[in-house]
Amino acid sequence: MFKRMEGFSENDIDKIHNAVMEVLRDIGVAFHEPEALEIFKNHGFKVEGRTVYFSENQVMKALDTVPSEYTIFARNPENDVKVGGDNFALLPGWGAPFIIDNDGEQRNAVMEDYENFCKLVHTSKYLDMNGFLMVMPSDINPQESHLDMILANILLTDKAFMGSPQDRSKAVDSLEMVSILWGGKDKILNKPVLPSKVNPVSPLIYSEEMVGTLIEYATLGQPLEFPDLILSGTTAPITLAGTATVMMAEDLAGVVLAQLINPGTPCVIGGNTCATDMRTGGMALGGPEAIKIIHIIAQMGRFYGVPTKSGGSLTDAFFPDMQAGVESALSMFTSIAAGSHFMNQSCGILAGFNAMSFEKFLLDEEICGMVRKIVTPVEVTEESIGMDQIKRAGIGGAYITFPETFKKCRTELFMPEHATRGSYETWAVQGKKKVHTKAHESLIKRLDTYKKPDIDPSIEKELREFVAQRRAAISK
Amino acid sequence: MEDHTQITETLIQGDDEKLIILVQEALDSGANPGKLLNHVLIPAMDVIGERMESGEMFIPEVLMGARAMGLAVEMLKPLLGDGESSSAGKVIIGTVKGDLHDIGKNLVSMMMESAGFEVTDLGVDIAPENFIAAIKDQNATIVALSALLTTTMPMMKATVEAICESGLREQVKIIVGGAPVNQSFADEIGADGYAADAGSASKLAKSYLN
Ligand code: B12
Repeated sequence: MFKRMEGFSENDIDKIHNAVMEVLRDIGVAFHEPEALEIFKNHGFKVEGRTVYFSENQVMKALDTVPSEYTIFARNPENDVKVGGDNFALLPGWGAPFIIDNDGEQRNAVMEDYENFCKLVHTSKYLDMNGFLMVMPSDINPQESHLDMILANILLTDKAFMGSPQDRSKAVDSLEMVSILWGGKDKILNKPVLPSKVNPVSPLIYSEEMVGTLIEYATLGQPLEFPDLILSGTTAPITLAGTATVMMAEDLAGVVLAQLINPGTPCVIGGNTCATDMRTGGMALGGPEAIKIIHIIAQMGRFYGVPTKSGGSLTDAFFPDMQAGVESALSMFTSIAAGSHFMNQSCGILAGFNAMSFEKFLLDEEICGMVRKIVTPVEVTEESIGMDQIKRAGIGGAYITFPETFKKCRTELFMPEHATRGSYETWAVQGKKKVHTKAHESLIKRLDTYKKPDIDPSIEKELREFVAQRRAAISK
Repeated sequence: MEDHTQITETLIQGDDEKLIILVQEALDSGANPGKLLNHVLIPAMDVIGERMESGEMFIPEVLMGARAMGLAVEMLKPLLGDGESSSAGKVIIGTVKGDLHDIGKNLVSMMMESAGFEVTDLGVDIAPENFIAAIKDQNATIVALSALLTTTMPMMKATVEAICESGLREQVKIIVGGAPVNQSFADEIGADGYAADAGSASKLAKSYLN
């Protein structure tokens, strides 16, 4: 679609690729799950203890079967999502234990927050699908809350959504629930309906939970996202080239396992890798290194022929203020402009993933809308050039009076819902509202006007029974 | 006492090779090992701690200083007299069962070490019984638990309870931390303390010494 900004030259890419292969060949990657080690052994990989070593041939062969584009199906076919090539998907924030409210106060998130975020996703013009774990509900036993969250994902929106990666049994529960939704496991076998994350633990480890999760989703051919989260200088070299090397090595190792289990399983590589904040040892999620790595991820993905994940609306800030806006807009824009395909964390996240903000959700949404507009190719036709208008206006004419302008004034241009434009006086008369205040007001309206999408009552019943039965088993 | 500013500066710069030479020279010219430790090296580490907190020194610089300190302490240890200790206290630290996040825990562990504690880092995914075994084994006085997941915070509570049941509760101070943890959670599960970052964690630990 576009010429992309690229972090590496072709020669650089070769060097990084060789380094990645050296890591996979000589250092290897640890898989803390015997089942995975068996799979590798059966396919002739060198395995010592828990460490698996990869030859370049073995990696390249596995990459051959990774689809470069695929569709994630939603229960409402209008909401199917295409991923890969020029197609990208935007998803909400993920994993926050806290909500930061409109006064900057932090509180534990609860299930009602989760449900409200589902409602916002459902009514969002700019989010393509739902995620999972948008917030971690503190009012439900954490060993069962995945059931409630998947149920909310199914019932409160008819967009596609993600499953639980928290551990193997939660992955199994998620898959069981979508099987009920789609009418049986055979209906979802190799039909992407429930992508999941599989996080490597940098550097170069896959934990028991994550490998278990990978095996469950890959067996059914469900898409796997490898969202690397390196802190450069802590879990990989402090330099971006070194970080990219570790990141690609661990991501590709996971992709290889998925392809051995079920060739053709869709995969997405990349992540939210960022620098270490050297003053505190914490994350520098909104820093320029995190933005730069987005270009690198997209470019490496094109090189390996695997769709990528990166960015979203990322920030270290604790309030939807200018820092949050700048960092989020930079990372959102870069993710899409760089050509990444799968953006979790596109709406709502604050505090380096530790909190969600409803107000920021709506403001990020607006940024998503703007970025979508920016990357939509410009239509060049006789009509869009509008020579007859240009002639009619001649020198000094007023296009604002033209019927063409009248006809397109609501459709041609992006209209922000929260950004302030116009005159100072109007802004002052209306109470000098800052943008987060406006977002807070429209949030209330948006939730008030939400309508739950219909679902076959027998499916809903079956899902609720499943949840009740699993809840009973878990709390035993 | 002699002027040891060069030792202080070298330690703050994290130059371990030079520090060892300087410490050896000081010993050769008759400096008292205990005084060298308590009046020169430990105060220099305190300066490092302050500079870290103010943001003047960066974490890797602090860790270099801590490493140099460790080497100097190794040199001095065999020379210390009875009753003189090189350790501020024994700490057991680990990330609780089910949780694999260790970046923050590692920082806390390193900061405590550089504050003079003898730290046993058990790693990640540590079950309550392993904490208990380590407390007994090391005769520790402080236990530090880390958790980054809402799903593993209940395991902190379980660990505190297990320590109570094992009869070791009186012997140790339990401190907890990690991004989703806060003071009220610490109170709720019966921990002794909570700290939000590595610097305040080692301060908190120090506050238990008397
Ligand atoms: C890096 C990271 C990972 C890495 C971990 C790598 C590693 N070696 O540790 C990987 C990618 C493996 C990972 C995996 C997962 N993660 Co994670 N992860 C993070 C992230 C982004 C940063 C954590 C970090 O290292 N911060 C930097 C350090 C320096 O800060 P810190 O840990 O807070 O530590 C400081 C203080 O808290 C304190 N402290 C820490 N411990 C202690 C102990 C004591 C005694 C004291 C006094 C103080 C103290 O001092 C430290 C130094 O100043 C956080 C988000 C965040 N901002 O916290 C999510 C986060 C914690 N992860 C999360 C989740 C959900 C997961 C996964 C389930 C996967 C997922 N994406 O859904 C898995 C779970 C794996 C498991 N079983 O543990 C959620 C947790 C939500 C929740 N509360 O339940 C978060 C908030 C991100 C999110 N929004 O999704 N993660």
